[in-house]
Amino acid sequence: MNILQRIKNKVRSRSIHVAYVDVGSCNGCDIEVLACLAPRYDIEQYGIFVHNNPREADVLLVIGAYTPGWEEKLAMVWDKIPSPKAAITIGNCPISGCLFDRKGSFVDPPVKKHIPIAAEVPGCPPRPTEILQAIMSVRDSVFFDWEEEHP
Amino acid sequence: MTAYLYEQDLVTQKYRILVALWHDNLVRQIARELDIPVQELRRYLIEHFDMIQLENLPARAEMAEAHADHGDAVARALGREKFTLYLQILSSAAMDSIFSEVNARVHAGIPMEEAIAFGRTQIREALKR
Amino acid sequence: MKRIVDVNIPLGPIHPCFKEPVRLKCEAKGERIISAEVELGYMKKGIERIMKGRPWQEVMFLAERVCGICSVIHNMVFIEAMEQISDISVPPRAAYLRVIVNELDRMQSHLLANFSYCYTIEHETLGMYLLDLREQVMDELERLTGARVTCAYIIPGGVRCDIPRQDAEDLQASLDRIEGDLRRYTGMFENGPMIALRSRGVGILTLEAAQRAHVVGPTARGSGIAYDCRQNHPTYKKLGFVPITRPDCDNFARVMVRFDEVFQSIALIRKCLQELPKGVIRGGGVCKAGEIRYSGEAPRGELTYFIKSDEFGRIVEIQIQPPSIMNIEACCHEMIIGSDSIADVTSTFISADPCVACAER
Repeated sequence: MNILQRIKNKVRSRSIHVAYVDVGSCNGCDIEVLACLAPRYDIEQYGIFVHNNPREADVLLVIGAYTPGWEEKLAMVWDKIPSPKAAITIGNCPISGCLFDRKGSFVDPPVKKHIPIAAEVPGCPPRPTEILQAIMSVRDSVFFDWEEEHP
Repeated sequence: MTAYLYEQDLVTQKYRILVALWHDNLVRQIARELDIPVQELRRYLIEHFDMIQLENLPARAEMAEAHADHGDAVARALGREKFTLYLQILSSAAMDSIFSEVNARVHAGIPMEEAIAFGRTQIREALKR
Repeated sequence: MKRIVDVNIPLGPIHPCFKEPVRLKCEAKGERIISAEVELGYMKKGIERIMKGRPWQEVMFLAERVCGICSVIHNMVFIEAMEQISDISVPPRAAYLRVIVNELDRMQSHLLANFSYCYTIEHETLGMYLLDLREQVMDELERLTGARVTCAYIIPGGVRCDIPRQDAEDLQASLDRIEGDLRRYTGMFENGPMIALRSRGVGILTLEAAQRAHVVGPTARGSGIAYDCRQNHPTYKKLGFVPITRPDCDNFARVMVRFDEVFQSIALIRKCLQELPKGVIRGGGVCKAGEIRYSGEAPRGELTYFIKSDEFGRIVEIQIQPPSIMNIEACCHEMIIGSDSIADVTSTFISADPCVACAER
């Protein structure tokens, strides 16, 4: 690995842009992601910037159990993100559908079926610190050695 | 540019809104009132309304029940304000012309029921357009 | 509804200003909005369909997950409706504790809504101040109930846990702190000349249009409709509750009503803590068969549950009418029509405090 690649890795993992997409949750996880912005958790001190534009994002936070409205759109959003990229699911809904995955509901979990997922954060809803920790761990595992794995 | 990208067929999702408990009761009630098949009214609503209007139908109907058409007997029977201002099924212009026609008939001496029945037919015709 | 217009501007479903996915298709003439169409369906989970045929013990948790921001009031309205059906009486201490938790929930919801508004009009500093304040309210909620968001605090015949005296004192202290800070931030909002330029006279919702669309909550009270479901609630009646209204009908009025209601909530919690009666917090009871239509005041407005249960306490028929339906409808078909720019569309939309998860269920 040459010095240029090393610099690229370092810079990349220090500046993560996050987009979040709600594919049918109860809103509880959304506001916990918003709470990460608060001065108490201060997501930006780790170089993570939430601005909700998939074309500039590195990490996609997926919230909620997959509803029919997202059938083509979630994959489309995922394709628009330039690589290196990673998707993290927040909450129980994308993992198992939580209590919405019953007879008669319209949801189609898990989200894993539809787009590749790098990390899952369980909880209904998870605490903001857990969301932060998940983003940080993905940063270390996906972005820090990207240049070595994809020369 | 006048066409949207990423259009999706919303008929199934709109239908799902319309078959919820209160919405279904309301659609059946309006269909009975106007004497048209339920499916036809549903199709009309799905074609002409957006999703949040469909969701809001019961609330608007409730307000129409409380506040609409208190003055005139003919207006109340036809649902003049109820169908235009509150439920927004018909345009005000169409309703006004129907209303004035019915009023003219009432003044000409035609019995109230007959005139109202004529008005209902006109509303049905307007909905088919 | 296809028409030929100058420009069609779709906003969403993923948009930096919207917390939840919703698609607004605006038809504009130049930049002036002449009509708008809302496309939902990104959050439709079919909660009412799941609820049918399930015992109340399960429906209670489902009701709470209709909306994550105002989960306490969904819980409260469902449980109080079940209590009305089956004649379960609530101990006075539990009734007061319910009010405390409900008002804390309202505070955090209003602060979040005002944060979103400030964020949308690009006043990020004030937004962050408010979000920080909201975290303090969330701490109080967590200390009292044990969870930040979905806490399932209210159960038939009482509440889940008591408030120890030390916690009550801490709550008092932190209410004082929150009130002091909030007074400063409200002053910043009220006297900010740039904020006034972006908010005053934008997004007009007239009284008549508001009445026709059955607009509720702060959105209605910002248009001068003095209606609040808490007026009819027995515990709030005891506390001497009076709704807050403003006659201005614009974005500024709606946001200020929310600020005023946070102060009102603080006063209500203080009064509750002062008058908190001694005694048990759980009475117990059995849920029976019956049918009821019951309303409560959510942070966003009147929330109505229609419940029909059988003799084992199972839900046979249910219909939920959350406030966001009416507010989003009025917002998209009345308020944003005639906006002078696209930037005003998002800020007007956010000023109505839309909650799409509620509206679609």
